[in-house]
Amino acid sequence: MKSFFRMSYPYILWIGIFIVAPMVMILLYAVTRATGDSTLAFQFTLDNFGKFFSDPTFMRVLLTSLRIALMTTVFCLLIGYPAALFIANLPERSQTMMVLLLTLPMWINMLLKTYAWRGILMNFDFSSEIRVFIGMVYDFLPYMIIQIHSAISKMDGNLLIAAHDLGANKWKTFMKVTLPLSVPGIISGITLVFLPAVSSFVIPKLLGGGDYVLIGNLIEIYFLTAGDWNFGSAISLIMALVIIASMWATKKLDRNGEEE
Amino acid sequence: MRKLIEFRNIVKNFDGQIVLKGVNLNIYENEFVTLLGPSGCGKTTLLRILGGFLEQDEGTVIFDGQCIDNVPAYKREINTVFQRYALFPHLNVYENIAFGLRIKKLGNDIISQKVNRMLSLVNLEGYEKRNVTKLSGGQQQRVAIARALVNEPNVLLLDEPLGALDLKLRKEMQRELKRIQQEVGITFIFVTHDQEEALTMSDKIVVMNAGAIEQIGTPLEIYNEPANAYVARFIGESNIMDGVMLADYKVRFDDKTFECTDFGFKSNEPVDVLIRPEDIDLVKPREGVMRGEVKSVLFKGVHYELMVETKTGTSKTVKMHVVTQHDIDNREAGEKISANDFYVDSDDLENKEMTDQDFISIANAQAWDDENRDLSLTHVSHNIEKTPGVYSITFGTEKKTEVTVKVYVVHPEYVEDPRHNIGISALDFFITPDEIQESMAISTDLKTWASAEAWNLQDDSTVDITDVKFDFDPSDIKEGSYDITFSTRGRVYKVETTDHHEAGDKVGLLFGPDDIHVMHKEEGAV
Repeated sequence: MKSFFRMSYPYILWIGIFIVAPMVMILLYAVTRATGDSTLAFQFTLDNFGKFFSDPTFMRVLLTSLRIALMTTVFCLLIGYPAALFIANLPERSQTMMVLLLTLPMWINMLLKTYAWRGILMNFDFSSEIRVFIGMVYDFLPYMIIQIHSAISKMDGNLLIAAHDLGANKWKTFMKVTLPLSVPGIISGITLVFLPAVSSFVIPKLLGGGDYVLIGNLIEIYFLTAGDWNFGSAISLIMALVIIASMWATKKLDRNGEEE
Repeated sequence: MRKLIEFRNIVKNFDGQIVLKGVNLNIYENEFVTLLGPSGCGKTTLLRILGGFLEQDEGTVIFDGQCIDNVPAYKREINTVFQRYALFPHLNVYENIAFGLRIKKLGNDIISQKVNRMLSLVNLEGYEKRNVTKLSGGQQQRVAIARALVNEPNVLLLDEPLGALDLKLRKEMQRELKRIQQEVGITFIFVTHDQEEALTMSDKIVVMNAGAIEQIGTPLEIYNEPANAYVARFIGESNIMDGVMLADYKVRFDDKTFECTDFGFKSNEPVDVLIRPEDIDLVKPREGVMRGEVKSVLFKGVHYELMVETKTGTSKTVKMHVVTQHDIDNREAGEKISANDFYVDSDDLENKEMTDQDFISIANAQAWDDENRDLSLTHVSHNIEKTPGVYSITFGTEKKTEVTVKVYVVHPEYVEDPRHNIGISALDFFITPDEIQESMAISTDLKTWASAEAWNLQDDSTVDITDVKFDFDPSDIKEGSYDITFSTRGRVYKVETTDHHEAGDKVGLLFGPDDIHVMHKEEGAV
């Protein structure tokens, strides 16, 4: 065991440098303010958070981000579930083909795809929110379908036969067996769609036009344009907390479903 | 008893392969019926047709006087215990059992009453809230039975439900299932490939083979009066001999005529004769109806299982010439080489193109250098012809280290035994004492060295050479010539006895008219 543990040293080092250290720095930046005297002198403060919560503009951006992420997730689930169910009922070989087709767009750079959508959507008179919404659904739908599909196709086919045997017709079998057993797939699908949607900044930037700002764009602006790393870090931290809270809520929902 | 289920001429194909070829079967109320057969015999298919999960290509299923061919599975008053239980992993024990009742929208108090009754029937009280995936195989099994029985079906189908359990648990569940069946008093249709399971539990056994029913009967009938050699072989251990029914109560097999209790055969009809291993008594050689030699003894717990050979098989004796070969030492090149003289049969030269590689291996030719590394033999030259005679062959390495040995081309010598339809051949051979001492499996090596083989005279298929007899000690072999006898299996009887015998004992076999069971030859069997 010991010798195997040694093999993980490079990985631990990697995590330390590229994951732990940046996170510690974000935390540090978020609760300090630059004194101006020296880049190394810090002063502890909670002003960054105060600034965020006292200004309604920032709160509005947060709420918009949550709203569009939620809309995207719900819509992906509504289209994704029937699609996944349809694919899972195909013969094995067509299933592999369909999954391949679904993942095919992921091989193309997201920037490129988003630009393509910009070209398409320019022809229509949609509001900026609708344009961003369409872009997000397009981009994140495959994650939802693949997660649900894998949950459904993992299910033991005998369970459906058993349900028939016990008197359940097709609809009841779906409601009482297939749907509850695909909940883990739904949960991870939601997670995989909601998280990138709430923090996305490329899609709103390219499809929303200049006036459509989500929390991801806000962070970008403060880090790159305004150069205020302290406030940018505070926003990042707030978003991270929102995400953790929403993940905890979905987990909780899942567990409740199990106990029922 | 009232007839509950009737299969009428059920035919089923899968992808052009016929799985059921016109099965007719009646099943009555309150019966414990077992469909028994090897995997692929169609037993599970028949069960699935009854459950409504498969549709037959031809034929009709009558249930309680009604044709149910067009009734979907969920409307049939039949429930199933599946092979791998198929419990719902997202529901606990209680909800799994309640599944069917909830579908029927019964009231909670009625459901709870019924589920609790089931829990006590299968001895799972107190397990209501347990997660089914965390239960042991036996407990999952009980949940599956309760989940099916709670719907009060007229028939319970069990598709190899004990297959995944270990032996001890399986025995326990066998008793348990029998008790449950007697308690609820409904028809159980049980599918298994385990003959012992079938004998233990069933009221009626249906023996199936290749999509057809071979025999239907009680366990006692099936065991004591098997309809044919297939059933006899499938149920219990058996000795089955080709025989001829001379007249009523007189059967001839193994060149002897025996009294038996069977009658009603055509005179001189070829038959299969069955004697169960436990019906044969071992006595002193002179007291038996047959004599033999114990070939092997297996300890089985309660009894020993002996193989007794009453007639030797076909055999062929050859000479083994043990000679010391002197290695040829090529000092200039720092290499040594050696090879043995050998015999080769003119038919082999005729029929198969012998390659240099073949000659190298028959002559056991090898070369090595001073550091004991094997060298490849790069050239082989010989004057061998197909006419019998003495020829020579030379093997050599790249550095011209050479050895020349004699090749004896001989007429093939077969022993053909038309009575057993067996031919056997083997050749004399030369070998060094070292090679014998280094051999790890002397019998197998002797077969290889002598090119010993045996075959069926009719279809040319290979027959095992089971016996290699020699009278030397491989660890202390001297130069000289030795006899080696290769033989095929003769007539061997399997005998079960509680007395201890050693391999090599001479014994007599004793059995009476009651112990002999004569069966019609299977149709289409060779």
